[in-house]
Amino acid sequence: MTAPIALRNVGLTLGGKRILDGIDLEIARGSFTCVVGPSGCGKTTLLRLVAGLVLPTEGEVQIGGTRVVAPRRDVAVVFQDYGRALLPWRTAAGNVSLALEAMGVAPRARPARIRDLLGRVGLAEHADKFPAQMSGGMQQRLQIARCLAQQPEVLLMDEPFGALDAMTRQGLQDEVLALVGDSGATVFFVTHDLEEAAYLGDVVIGLLPHPGRIARQVAVKLPRPRDQLATRELPEFLRLRRELFDFMRTAEA
Amino acid sequence: MRGRGAVWQLGSLLVCVALILAWQAVAQARLVSPVFLPPPTRVWAALVRGVESGVIVQKLAGTVLRMIEGWALASVLGVALGALIGTSRAARQWLGPTLEFLRPLPSSAIIPVAIALFGLSNGMVLGVIGFGALWPMLLATVHGFAAVEPRLYEVGRALGLSRWAVIRKVALPSAMPDILAGARLGLTVALVLAGVGEMLAGRDGLGQWILLAARAFRAPDLYAGVVLFGLLGYASALVIGLVERRALRWRQG
Ligand SMILES: Nc1ncnc2c1ncn2[C@@H]1O[C@H](COP(=O)(O)OP(=O)(O)OP(=O)(O)O)[C@@H](O)[C@H]1O
Ligand SMILES: [Mg+2]
Repeated sequence: MTAPIALRNVGLTLGGKRILDGIDLEIARGSFTCVVGPSGCGKTTLLRLVAGLVLPTEGEVQIGGTRVVAPRRDVAVVFQDYGRALLPWRTAAGNVSLALEAMGVAPRARPARIRDLLGRVGLAEHADKFPAQMSGGMQQRLQIARCLAQQPEVLLMDEPFGALDAMTRQGLQDEVLALVGDSGATVFFVTHDLEEAAYLGDVVIGLLPHPGRIARQVAVKLPRPRDQLATRELPEFLRLRRELFDFMRTAEA
Repeated sequence: MRGRGAVWQLGSLLVCVALILAWQAVAQARLVSPVFLPPPTRVWAALVRGVESGVIVQKLAGTVLRMIEGWALASVLGVALGALIGTSRAARQWLGPTLEFLRPLPSSAIIPVAIALFGLSNGMVLGVIGFGALWPMLLATVHGFAAVEPRLYEVGRALGLSRWAVIRKVALPSAMPDILAGARLGLTVALVLAGVGEMLAGRDGLGQWILLAARAFRAPDLYAGVVLFGLLGYASALVIGLVERRALRWRQG
């Protein structure tokens, strides 16, 4: 079976600046890959390449065996800045509807789908609220619901919980694990929170800057389902955490 | 909050009544000859007479129709052209200088041109109204489209929305507050130019009514026309306000 995501010797130069260099990566179907690295090392750019929002200047990105030349409907993106990624003039239901409209779902079939999707992210009661009337956590849930509406094979998330408080963040981590567990999607998750990477991932990839390149690929051997308390107390979790912290310290030095 | 609003409304009503009473006092004391300033009672009587005979209603209808036609013309053109210019850098560069040259031309300056082109016809008046009202619509629309959150365009790309769907579902609603502000200005311009155009071209309407009344020294009729113009302006502002409140409901968050 072809890996759903494969990058072959991918490089990117923008305006004479080398941003990513020699990226070789294979991501297994249904796996959860986290990407960490110091600020400005190219994590977001790497995600945008996989999304087809930017095209590489060398090498190629493949999804499901075909070359990515533009964004695809079966690849969904959760942006970090939920405040700007939602349509402020549409209600929660309307925002989910946008994805269904893009998919060509018949108008009559939409309300039931919308209700189901909002229910899955715990927003059933808030269908008629506008984004400005929702908390940050709720807005990010809404963005996730919109992505799930695409029924994606691949879910790309760029520091989705970076702007949320610790409690909300942990809650959403578990929700995302449950949701992708159900859907079987392959997840590519950028974060600068090392514990988050270890808690969520099957694999953690460490990038080094100038130019951005893959320096480390760590397999996470923690049992699933993960648990906010028990998992974070496992010796293996603590060892991983230590390994990632050491990596970041050398990367930033 | 509601009680406050009522107090303000009562206050503005009082100012209005006070002005009318002052007008009455000035006219009764004959500080100004009644040939130039009839008392409000006589203006009211003229208004009632005009409404009962249907003459003034017909003039009013003529002006309203003309104003709306010209404004609608300007709106359609302004939004279409503004969308084109606002979403395309190339169009901005190609058309920018020409627009900058045309924009500051006072509409009155093109009236002779319009007369030369269309004669003293209805088409001339419509052309002038359309030209004058076009600018506020066009500029507001260009601004609205140029200010669309870039992230939303990216969301549109990631969802695989067509170009047309992006304009209709993302850019247009995002530009709507600006477009409505432009529509409000455009409507005022249209009202002014409808009156001026009628006076110059002798088309049936309130403008002509005022001009003829002035020439015949029928001061009460003249003032009745002026009052109707004022009311018309007030009513159009109210209507736009209602539309704004409905269309921009999401902003009241
Ligand atoms: N369009 C662009 N043109 C030129 N340089 C760019 C462009 N986009 C990003 N860069 C540069 O590429 C580098 C990587 O940026 P990127 O946003 O991918 O980093 P990041 O790892 O996501 O950082 P952060 O942790 O702060 O989000 C940065 O040095 C940035 O300045
Ligand atoms: Mg980033």
